[in-house]
Amino acid sequence: MAKILVVDDSNMLRDMLKFALQDGGYTDVTEAADGEEGLRKAEETQYDLVITDINMPKMNGFELVQALRGKESYAKSPLIVLTTEQSDAMKAKGREAGATGWIIKPFVPEQLLQVVETVLK
Amino acid sequence: MANFDINKYRSMFLEEAQDLFSSLEQILLEAESSGSLDDQTMQELFRDMHTLKGGAASVEYVDFTRFTHELETFLDRLRNHEFAYRPEMADFFLQSLDVMKELMLLESDGAVTPQQYDDITAASLERLQEFVAHTETTPAQNEAFGFFTEPEPQAPSAEAEGGGFGFFDDPEPAESGKKEAFGFFEQAEAPEVAKPTAASAPATPTETGKERVAKKSSMSNTIRVDLGKIENLMNNIGELVIATSMISQFVDSLTDMKLKNSFIEKMDLLERHIRELQESVMSTRMVPMEDIYAKFPKMIRDTAKKLDKNVEFNHFGDSVEIDKAMIEGLTDPLMHIIRNAIDHGIESPEVRVAEGKTEHGTLMIGAEHANGQIIISIADDGKGIDVDRVANKAVERGILSSEQLAVLGHNEKAELIFHPGLSTAEKITDVSGRGVGMDVVKNNITKLGGAVGIKTEAGKGTTITIVLPLTLAILDGLNVTIGDMTVILPLASIVESLQPTAGMIKTVGDGSEELLMLREEFIPVVRLHRYMNIPPKNDTLTEGMLIVVRGGNHKVALFVDEFRNQQQVVVKPLDKNFHNIQGVGGATVRGDGTIGLILDVLGIVDRFKYMGSEAAA
Repeated sequence: MAKILVVDDSNMLRDMLKFALQDGGYTDVTEAADGEEGLRKAEETQYDLVITDINMPKMNGFELVQALRGKESYAKSPLIVLTTEQSDAMKAKGREAGATGWIIKPFVPEQLLQVVETVLK
Repeated sequence: MANFDINKYRSMFLEEAQDLFSSLEQILLEAESSGSLDDQTMQELFRDMHTLKGGAASVEYVDFTRFTHELETFLDRLRNHEFAYRPEMADFFLQSLDVMKELMLLESDGAVTPQQYDDITAASLERLQEFVAHTETTPAQNEAFGFFTEPEPQAPSAEAEGGGFGFFDDPEPAESGKKEAFGFFEQAEAPEVAKPTAASAPATPTETGKERVAKKSSMSNTIRVDLGKIENLMNNIGELVIATSMISQFVDSLTDMKLKNSFIEKMDLLERHIRELQESVMSTRMVPMEDIYAKFPKMIRDTAKKLDKNVEFNHFGDSVEIDKAMIEGLTDPLMHIIRNAIDHGIESPEVRVAEGKTEHGTLMIGAEHANGQIIISIADDGKGIDVDRVANKAVERGILSSEQLAVLGHNEKAELIFHPGLSTAEKITDVSGRGVGMDVVKNNITKLGGAVGIKTEAGKGTTITIVLPLTLAILDGLNVTIGDMTVILPLASIVESLQPTAGMIKTVGDGSEELLMLREEFIPVVRLHRYMNIPPKNDTLTEGMLIVVRGGNHKVALFVDEFRNQQQVVVKPLDKNFHNIQGVGGATVRGDGTIGLILDVLGIVDRFKYMGSEAAA
């Protein structure tokens, strides 16, 4: 079973993500409320996939991705950012930080699962 | 496939939105008073707005999202220094928050019509346009009108085209390219790309955790629980308390002393654990007063602005905890008191200066715990209440006889403002005096088992004090007997008890009104058996017991036959049919399964507090 870490400062969105993932059979989902907490949890446990929001207090999503990529254990892990915009600027930042991909918010559960399946293969 | 219960998420969003609104208001009010907004705070502002938008979009509040998007885009440009921040922008954003709240309210009730949307947002969007037009360095000068965010609505159209995600695996996404709603970066490359970037990562994160940020990002090791579930838990503990007292009674009837003592020992342990359990469940319902206070700064600002007054708001006791169940009943009365204080209490700057006061008035709200109660006080340094006018009006309207008036103390006259039908506002303003008077405030507080008191001084200001029980659910009571009946007196209300001597009792009026003279204080005596219509065991004051109880600022002495044991009881509301029994405020189930009635001390004190006050004067 794939271990997934969901990082978002909105309790509601974490819950939505978790619900959608669990509905798709991914029941091992851990939550974190900001980048720092996400990083700490990712250091404590090795996750197979990290899905993170971008705008968060303490440490934003790009910084989290960058920090995780710098670690050997996450050098090749899929790291997905959640974004409300698909601007070139966002893409440039995402690419630069080392993210695997992005999902637009609000997300469609089916698409979320499609992405998750693709990256976990 | 995932079947979202959108309503569940909507209510989660509404709750989250409240926190975000509070945070935004706090930032903006600070910005308004300081006249500036630093980069980091701007960042916070943007993030809160962004989170609101993202959340709203996720629960399909489209109009709220649309409007918030405008604000967010503007903030984005502001934080990127495309425009300079101007002090009046704080006011604009504060106003826009009201627009957002209105939209949210409408959308949570149903759809918003295009007309409604335009009406609600027009003023705010127009101001936004002005800001943009005034500051834009490369303006689209020929355009008389236009939204800078309009052209590329991202999420919906992307979705419509079937996208919603993307991978960054090739520089120019080919297949999923145009209609992506998700995307991938070059995966094989990622590590190589990432490592150097990670190495050159800026050492300073853009955020340093400020207090409010830390508070808001409620750690994910907390969970939100429906209040109803906790209520349920509380009820179960109540039943447990009852069951335990049943066992206690059974133990009492045991004759084998050895067995009995051993039982009692274990029962003590059990009772202690139940009490601890009750306390820990109670503590989950407790929230700090700052949750209530957070609603005030904006309201105070708006009210003061509307009335052209300057008001400084201070608060203390932010961490004092209060039962969540009480917050709802408490917020409205507090709001009303505050509005009243600003409207009728605090003077206009000109008047204040003319009277040698500071130009700005001060409004202070505080909370503290004392004797198992919460005391909340709201004080202003305004003009005070014209108590004689209030009192004369009360006489005019037949609420009070002129004899009664003659003996009322200063603050007792002021207390008349809580009487239904007494509103002394010189004119009905749009701020207070909308037919909802201080009597409603008092009623609401009474419903919570609390009492209201008032102190006022002409020219100096008014302080309103609210005393509330810590919890509504369980109380410590004293069993007292009146004739054949045993009733429960809440322990928290008891000041002292005594067996009076003949010299301590004074009779006034036609002899039916009695006063207890206790250390130079005259306290009205209430013969409970008369009040409650129960045949007494004895009718002579010196042969029974007097229990002095307090309700708000007043005391009365209750005459009972005797008192028995102390007991913890679970308060059950009375059925509607019994609501108006004189002197009874609630009921409980005793250990033996019978119903015990709980005395309504506040009601009794309220009814008798002025009795015999002529003699006291």
